[in-house]
Amino acid sequence: MEATINAHMPGLVARVTVSEGEFVKKGQTVAVINCMKTELAVISEYEGKVKQIVAKEWDEMDVGSSMIILELDEGKLGHV
Amino acid sequence: MFKKILIANRGEIARRIIKTCRDLNIKTAAIYSDADKDAFYLQEVDETYNIGPANPLKSYLNREAIINAIKEVEADAVHPGYGFLSENHSFAEAVVSNGVTWIGPPPKVMQAIESKCYCREIASRVNVPIIPGTIASFKSLDELYKVIPEFGLPVFLKLDKGGGGKGIEVIKEMDQVKDVWERVLRVGMVAFGSTDCYLEKQVINPRHIEIQFLSDKVGKCICLGERECSTQRKHQKIIEESPSPIVEEKERQALYEYTRKLVMAMGYEGAGTIEFLRSEDGNYYFMEVNARLQVEHPVTEFLAGMDIVKCQIEVAAGGTLNFNQEDVMLEGHAIEARVYAEDPVNFAPSPGKISNLKFPNMESRYLRIDHAIAEGSTVLPYYDSLIAKVIVRDATRLEAIRRMEEALLDFKIEGIKTTIPINLKILKSKEYRDGNFNTSLVEILLERIKA
Repeated sequence: MEATINAHMPGLVARVTVSEGEFVKKGQTVAVINCMKTELAVISEYEGKVKQIVAKEWDEMDVGSSMIILELDEGKLGHV
Repeated sequence: MFKKILIANRGEIARRIIKTCRDLNIKTAAIYSDADKDAFYLQEVDETYNIGPANPLKSYLNREAIINAIKEVEADAVHPGYGFLSENHSFAEAVVSNGVTWIGPPPKVMQAIESKCYCREIASRVNVPIIPGTIASFKSLDELYKVIPEFGLPVFLKLDKGGGGKGIEVIKEMDQVKDVWERVLRVGMVAFGSTDCYLEKQVINPRHIEIQFLSDKVGKCICLGERECSTQRKHQKIIEESPSPIVEEKERQALYEYTRKLVMAMGYEGAGTIEFLRSEDGNYYFMEVNARLQVEHPVTEFLAGMDIVKCQIEVAAGGTLNFNQEDVMLEGHAIEARVYAEDPVNFAPSPGKISNLKFPNMESRYLRIDHAIAEGSTVLPYYDSLIAKVIVRDATRLEAIRRMEEALLDFKIEGIKTTIPINLKILKSKEYRDGNFNTSLVEILLERIKA
């Protein structure tokens, strides 16, 4: 199963702090959005492996733009 | 005089500069990013030029694109406003090398001033007091550990080429040193392209007071009073006023003298600001030079009845200041409240569409509003959150405060959050009314609200 981490604020992608294949914990910062010159952390609500990084540095984000696709850990789905 | 000025900026300051150009019958050209293509102020200029996508690195900070725009519209001068490339000496040099006038200090002076340590060295040479700390910059963590004991904690670690409240962090405990160092270094790399640092002893509960000056090529330097800028959030100003409720006339004269000495020693021409810190025990220390038109310049303009942008343009065109210090009349009291598109409690950014907008209704001799917003327009997430500056003036400080409260209460901006509620809280606080506050006022008020 997959889950997508979306931008919660509009702005520009300042950086993505995880790489493909990396295991992400719930509550972990996966990217940073620069909104009005303020850096806002994008936090994962899920636990899983980074399958694809959609957002690139300096991409323009709207609220809800997809940033990162995670492959969820089947065994832990109940906790998500 | 210039025939056409290109404004290398956006938003309220672009509009502000357009106004003076129109008063002087100088044609204007504005640059805009894709995201700004519908900005209404673009209709107020003679020519517009698209310089790239929303990302400021590819548009308003894109030197090549802007130089190209300058050539295309055949501008003979460039006004950089504040922020973006306004204090970038290599951009200024590129402008000049294209045979176009830079409306600002000479690029060589800008280059020197970019280094805070250079300024500290000049200041100490001409006997202007500086905040205790290192004068030479350093580049390594080892050196940082070595110099801290000389001054004792708490100290500020600052980037030699930082600015705008970025690249400054306090070190309160020795075990924070490494983390602070790494954070400041990263900001330096990302935002300023330089990681040179210096150390400054923290002045406890300081007030931030600055002198606006104008100088010309024949060495005349005129001071236009001080601005009290202690009311800040996130190291950035939110309310400014002139005169400061704490600066006495003899102190003002001393600050003027410091300013003149620094301006002469630097060879500065044009409009600028010298920032000072005032310690609790009433000592003043030189902090930095702002080599640009500042956000809060309207406070001084409104109080002095002057147009600083006009003076900048005249000096850049080779003219000299045709008035003297004695001609500067600063009567009454002026206050500016910055309205940011931010949550008024945690200052989180709040971009979005302005669904409803109503400006305050007040006679123009009491109220000035600098802005570039319109009903239905969108406050973009890509740029600064400052959306409007409300400036009032009246005979006394208390009357000016009352005017400001009236204006802010009558200013309706819907669809986004703004800092108007915290602006009002500041104006209402006993500390502010008594004129008895320092740079921690906003924090204190927020704590009080939470309690």
